[in-house]
Amino acid sequence: MSLSYRDETNARIQEGTTPGEAATQLAQRRRTATWVAREIVPHEARIRRWLARSRLPSEDIDEVMQEAYFRLAKLPSVDHIDQPLAYMFAAARNILIRRLKRERVVAFSALSEIENWHDAAAPTPEEQAATRMSYERVMAIIAALPERCRRVVELRKIEGWSQKEIAAHLGMTEKAVEKQVWTGVRAIREAWGAVEAQGEAVMSRDRSEGVSR
Amino acid sequence: MRGDDLVRDRAAHFVARMDADDWAAADEAALQTWLAEDPLREGLLLQIQAQWLALSPPASNVAQSDTEPPAVYEPSKIARRGILVSIAATAAAIVAGVRLNGGPSEYTTRVGEIRRLPLPDGSVVTINSGSNVTVAMAERTRAIELAEGEAWFEVAKDARRPFVVAAGDVRVRAVGTAFSVRRRESGVEVQVTEGVVETWSDYDHTLRVRLSAGDRVTLTARAVVDYETGASTAVDRSLAWRSGMIDLNGRSLADAAAEFNRYNARQIIIADPEIAREELSGLFNINDPEGFARTVEASLGVKVDSSASGLIRIE
Repeated sequence: MSLSYRDETNARIQEGTTPGEAATQLAQRRRTATWVAREIVPHEARIRRWLARSRLPSEDIDEVMQEAYFRLAKLPSVDHIDQPLAYMFAAARNILIRRLKRERVVAFSALSEIENWHDAAAPTPEEQAATRMSYERVMAIIAALPERCRRVVELRKIEGWSQKEIAAHLGMTEKAVEKQVWTGVRAIREAWGAVEAQGEAVMSRDRSEGVSR
Repeated sequence: MRGDDLVRDRAAHFVARMDADDWAAADEAALQTWLAEDPLREGLLLQIQAQWLALSPPASNVAQSDTEPPAVYEPSKIARRGILVSIAATAAAIVAGVRLNGGPSEYTTRVGEIRRLPLPDGSVVTINSGSNVTVAMAERTRAIELAEGEAWFEVAKDARRPFVVAAGDVRVRAVGTAFSVRRRESGVEVQVTEGVVETWSDYDHTLRVRLSAGDRVTLTARAVVDYETGASTAVDRSLAWRSGMIDLNGRSLADAAAEFNRYNARQIIIADPEIAREELSGLFNINDPEGFARTVEASLGVKVDSSASGLIRIE
């Protein structure tokens, strides 16, 4: 049953990912992520809260968001998107509707809320304040990291040094610096989760005041 | 939810890796392999990378790569190098590919690459596809770190220098023996082909298992997930990669496809979950996913579409 194309297949595998391709892919990923960091991340909590109106459990909301991000990741370029937030809302909405249809149990209220997404896309000032990651908040998150990790994240994110420079400066291996960055990345993800929870409170206050038009 | 945590950890790991300045073809290949398992992962990766990038305080995120670190960094670097040179002198002569600074040597295999690496003490490490191994040999210790993937260790006897493999929080120690360590989503899998090894969690020291030839265990930092004893045949089967083969014995088609996808850029996708549960046996050439798909086509009577260059679809 074993076949012997071995050498040919090997040759093809060698071509699989060239250093040049890896660099291109990396640059592309960074470009999209930088754009998402600027345009979407500060508002992600709003999209999530709006999705929560459909009474979807939070794990499902995670998945809808991931799928929406997946669509962004697949775009060769994001330059043509004029209204990033509206784009993201629309993507999340389509994914949600498809999902609700598949489950066949569509609460009437859920669907009518979904149609109100244009309202949700325009933030109130309080919401903006709650969802924006302020400079103080950034510093607070970094300050709460474990000592070694905090040093590395400070140098990387505040001083803007490269991981290599940090390694040389702190007498650590580059691998060890990368490990601390890894811890930092996870802590920051959790911190963003906390921003969402905080925004939640602001939002529910808003809704009881004005949304019932 | 535990599985999701692991996926998130892994995504964060790739983000940290991309944040360094030495993203290589092997990293890209490893990432592609990981992403191919579930489309949502690509979304998660983008989300986490963006969250990390969004952290930069407004004032300092412009043109930061041009900023030179302050002068303190130079002297400390030189001082450090001075110490290391003397260690390097002994090690560098023996280990091929060791870095000039004498630090631990790191080896990364690309997807489809299997590498045999002789160590200065006479031990041999066989590194499987898409893996990352760091070797640090010292006077009293032989420390190996498996950051990713799988490797099989044939350890030369040296009672005064324990040979310890670290895979996350899991440790595996041997005196003179042969065993494999593989990092899986569910935990770290240790299989022993010869002699005795001891494995434990650095996180929880009460978690300790002694294994003999033919035993295998999967453990995480907190628990033993799976344990099997007297399974020499199964152990040999799962280590068939050492001779470039995949040995399936009643494994599901889904498992088999995942196994091929570990070694090949050309990924196998099974469109129908019903078919994915079918079991098969046989010995296959590790880098011939197409030959495998053809066999599946013939024996299970399913349709195989191999017209696309990047993937093979079984439907």
